[in-house]
Amino acid sequence: MPATKCAGRLLPVEMHHLERTMMNASHNTEVQSLAELLSGYAALPGSYDELLAEDGDLRPHWRTYVEAMAGLVARERLGRAARLERLVRETGLVHDIFADPETERAQWRLNLAPLIISAQEWRSLERGLDQRARLFNAILADVYGPQELLRSGQIPPALIFADPAYLRNCHEIAPPGGHLQFYAADLARGPDGQWRVIDSHAETPAGIGYVVANRVMHSEVTNDIFAHCQTRRIAAHFHRQQDALIKRTGTREPNMALLTPGPDHDDYFSHAYLARYLGLHLVEGGDLRVVGDEVFLKTLEGLKPIDGIVRCIEGARSDPLELDPGYFEGPVGLLNACRKAPSLSANALGSAVIENRGLSGYLPALCRSLLGEELILWDTPRWWLGDDIARAHVQTNLESMVVRPAREGTGRPGRAALGRSTSTLSDADREHLKQDMAMYGQKLVAEQPIGFSTMPAQTAQGFRPQAIAVRFYVGGTSDGFSVLPSGVAMAVDSRAAVALSASTGDTHDVWVLQDEPEKPFVSLWTPQLENARVDRAQRALQSRVADNLFWLGRYLERADWTMRVVRSGLGHGRLEYFGTSWSGHASAICLRLLLEKGRPDHAPKHGAKEAQRSLDLAMDLVSSTDGDYSLEQSFSGIYRVASLTRDRLSLEAWRTASVFRDGAQWHRQLQGISVSEIQNEIEDKLAAIATFGGHMHESMTRNYGWFFLDMGRRLERAYNLCDALHALFATPESAESDAERLKYVLDLADSYITYRSRYRVEPMLPLVLDLLLLDETNPRSLAYQLAILTTRLEALPQPNEGTSLPRERRIVLELLTAVRLANLNEMGEVEASGNRERLSRLLQHAQTELPALSDVISRRYFRLVDDEPHRIGMRSEPAQ
Amino acid sequence: MIYDISHRTAYHYKSVVTQSQHLVHLAPREFDYQTIHRHSLLVEPAPNTRSNRRDYFENPISILEIDQDHHEFVMHARSVVEVEPRASIELGRGIGWEDLRSIVTRPRNGIDLDAAQFAVPSPFTSTSPKVIDYAAASFVPGRPALDAAWDLTKRIFADFTFDGEATDVSTPVDHVLSERRGVCQDFAHVALASCRAFGIPARYVSGYLLTKPPEGKEKLQGSDASHAWFALWTPDTGWVDFDPTNNLMPSMEHIAFAVGREYRDIAPITGILLGGGEHTVDVAVDVVPIATLP
Repeated sequence: MPATKCAGRLLPVEMHHLERTMMNASHNTEVQSLAELLSGYAALPGSYDELLAEDGDLRPHWRTYVEAMAGLVARERLGRAARLERLVRETGLVHDIFADPETERAQWRLNLAPLIISAQEWRSLERGLDQRARLFNAILADVYGPQELLRSGQIPPALIFADPAYLRNCHEIAPPGGHLQFYAADLARGPDGQWRVIDSHAETPAGIGYVVANRVMHSEVTNDIFAHCQTRRIAAHFHRQQDALIKRTGTREPNMALLTPGPDHDDYFSHAYLARYLGLHLVEGGDLRVVGDEVFLKTLEGLKPIDGIVRCIEGARSDPLELDPGYFEGPVGLLNACRKAPSLSANALGSAVIENRGLSGYLPALCRSLLGEELILWDTPRWWLGDDIARAHVQTNLESMVVRPAREGTGRPGRAALGRSTSTLSDADREHLKQDMAMYGQKLVAEQPIGFSTMPAQTAQGFRPQAIAVRFYVGGTSDGFSVLPSGVAMAVDSRAAVALSASTGDTHDVWVLQDEPEKPFVSLWTPQLENARVDRAQRALQSRVADNLFWLGRYLERADWTMRVVRSGLGHGRLEYFGTSWSGHASAICLRLLLEKGRPDHAPKHGAKEAQRSLDLAMDLVSSTDGDYSLEQSFSGIYRVASLTRDRLSLEAWRTASVFRDGAQWHRQLQGISVSEIQNEIEDKLAAIATFGGHMHESMTRNYGWFFLDMGRRLERAYNLCDALHALFATPESAESDAERLKYVLDLADSYITYRSRYRVEPMLPLVLDLLLLDETNPRSLAYQLAILTTRLEALPQPNEGTSLPRERRIVLELLTAVRLANLNEMGEVEASGNRERLSRLLQHAQTELPALSDVISRRYFRLVDDEPHRIGMRSEPAQ
Repeated sequence: MIYDISHRTAYHYKSVVTQSQHLVHLAPREFDYQTIHRHSLLVEPAPNTRSNRRDYFENPISILEIDQDHHEFVMHARSVVEVEPRASIELGRGIGWEDLRSIVTRPRNGIDLDAAQFAVPSPFTSTSPKVIDYAAASFVPGRPALDAAWDLTKRIFADFTFDGEATDVSTPVDHVLSERRGVCQDFAHVALASCRAFGIPARYVSGYLLTKPPEGKEKLQGSDASHAWFALWTPDTGWVDFDPTNNLMPSMEHIAFAVGREYRDIAPITGILLGGGEHTVDVAVDVVPIATLP
């Protein structure tokens, strides 16, 4: 558990501190702390340093930042770094949401120190990046159009034709605004101070969601310094992007979706974050359907047209009918829809062909002939090995080269593969490499590494030099391109890497300075006059998302209930408070009930006394890893479905849910832990669920998604209550045991205080049943859950089944009526069989109908089609 | 020679199909030596949408979408095609394969993309040491390119055994080369990989072949089949066809329907289904020479 107070300084003090720093920069103590901050920092020989000039002086554009940092006491710097780490963890920036949380490799890390770029340098970078986007747009228009560049040999045809990213079926699909909406370039700075491009990205938005997330987290801890340095903000860029996306669709109020391969993808975090930031539906291939040549989203209310798609899936995997038949990441028939509306997909399908590293050497000439301009930003020196002359050159100069594939997917920043460095090869391997170059030259490049510049990384010992490369982003606007005044700088291993392949995963925010104070900040949500309107309509809800929200509700409630049962088994102090003799028997019954869920053959250990037994059973339930009600299952269930619906949850709600991240580790964490520590853990987790409930009630709009989340909770709560009541009261044992059980169940159902305030008598069965079954004002009662379920179901889109009520509503109506009509006195009667037959029948009925209700809801709203699509093909028949 | 070609494919699905989309290459295309007189494609159940267009390689295709429950799906293509004798080719003369290779990539005036795009390996015809080993015996220095292709055709016919069970549509060419077994499209792929490994433009051709019944027997209805072979390009002759499965150069008895880089580009029928479960397929092909146009 992280300390929560380490960063708890008050803002006014900070500001005061900062002011003082600025006013008395020459003051002795400041000079001292500046020296202290930089004491461990020195530029590495042979590489350009971002912070220090050749003479060892601070570069001027870093001065304000460094002085502000030096003005903070060391403890404050560390505190901010710790707070940043915590934010990263809570924001959930992991590469694979289902990965083992302890795997260091999978963690995203954001360093406290930003990379600072001066306004002057930015102007030339901006020009260079903008030019490259325009150049690539022109290249794409040609290779997917007239192909003059290929015919004239300005681009060797084999370079394009051997590239699997060249999608022949996309030929002649020409978006009026150009193929590229998103372009990103990885840049490194050589010892000569020149930035060079080491890779280009045009397949997807290339992890731009990480930049936004980095900035949001980073400014939470450095906003004071950020503003003081006159750093450019990024919101305006995204505002322009949003406008451009709307313009691409040609409609005034378009429905736009971000198409992701799903939560197993490396970049899923970025997809979900970007979708939420730009207000797009986050959809997977299966959520979409093409009818004729139009794309629709499958929602609870039926098919909704989609006007624009931000494509985060690979082009070749976008349509199993016309492209790679092995992938269903896009809807069947997407290509046909793109023929009708060429701007439908951003980027256009097939754009990734410009990522081919083999193009590098041809770009300067292409820039001259296509744009009539000199290329501003050059690629790292590189040769395409499909060209005989280039190959011969490389083979004679092999020592200084690194050989790499010409094509690599656009991944999350930092995931590029290392090349084969030739200087360390044995003679045999070198011959082998030469053979490969001859055989597969069309798919290989050789390049000369240019090295990387260094920048300060904040460590526990102060600033330390770190080699970096930077990914910059360009976006199409309604009028040309706009370069995002930020980016993501990543730590690289300068000895091994030629690309953005991060060894530590450390990233840095990129601060672009400006000469003049920025114009007023434009919020992403400032409505444009032409498209502003009051809109309370539900955002269309995909069936898949509804399913996940429903289960999020169920898992939350299940974990809550299980923990309450466990808590009472671990210690009976609470029961003492209620003034009863305590045998632990009631507790043992409920614990056993939960232990056996999904595990009918479970045989718990036996202790001598009931109290001892309930403690053992509670420990069993806490530490078991299987069974439907084990805490481990419920916790990892919460984390999993919350991750899947993250774009529907508020940031705070998600952070709360993310404390269940260790679900799969819960069991391991418990090794050697004491009972009181477990009790503390349980209290913390119960508090987190209560907090989540608070967020859910206070900050989520009451849309369909919310209804499903709520229905999941209600259904689970109703079921658990009936289950416990049945186990405790269907067969009476003795008056004493009833008395204990009544108090126990009141505590479990959080209704003891209500009971005490209403009745001055010891708990009596009819009164307790009234409170827990019939009382529709008690938010823990069965009737209350059923009444709420009724309201929710009524508010959902109704299936078309003639005049009769749909099945799910019949089930609830019937159950609610049975409860309302129940006669409490009769319920309590013990019949000849020795059982409370009527009570038992009512509860058993609920126990069968509630799971049935869950199934009906699921069939009605979640699984519109039962089958996964599959492919058939026919082979040429033998002929001889 | 005029042919009436009938290709009927019927899919039977074990469970209901609620929705299906198909892309079909069942219509013939024109060549210098080939005229299309008639073509029709009957589909049952009737598709909700149907679009006809040309693919990247200029082959006619249809995209069909069926949006109703069905257990059976039938496509019946009928085509009347007239084939004329092709210009005669002298294999032993013409451009050498080394020169051909260099004029494809570095021509004096303008690259012929129709040739250049087929000089590059495709996913199922990729270069490998095995491919180079096999092809090297045909691509000896100084040999005319067409002669090398003919030599390759003869060698594949001699070295490989026809076996409908040994391979399927996803068998890589290296596997075919080590097993030395396969069907017409595998042999075409071996030839294409061989040519492209040496930078020679070569393309995949699919179509039909007139077959003759075993001696003394009558030809059975529906007993013909679709077929595949390869073609090689030279600047003087254009595309010249070779059939390694039958050890000959196609002429009046081959009817070409589509061309591409490899089988996958022009598979006769591909489709995506929702539902269906297991399926069986019945195919009946008839290639009937007719005296006059019907």
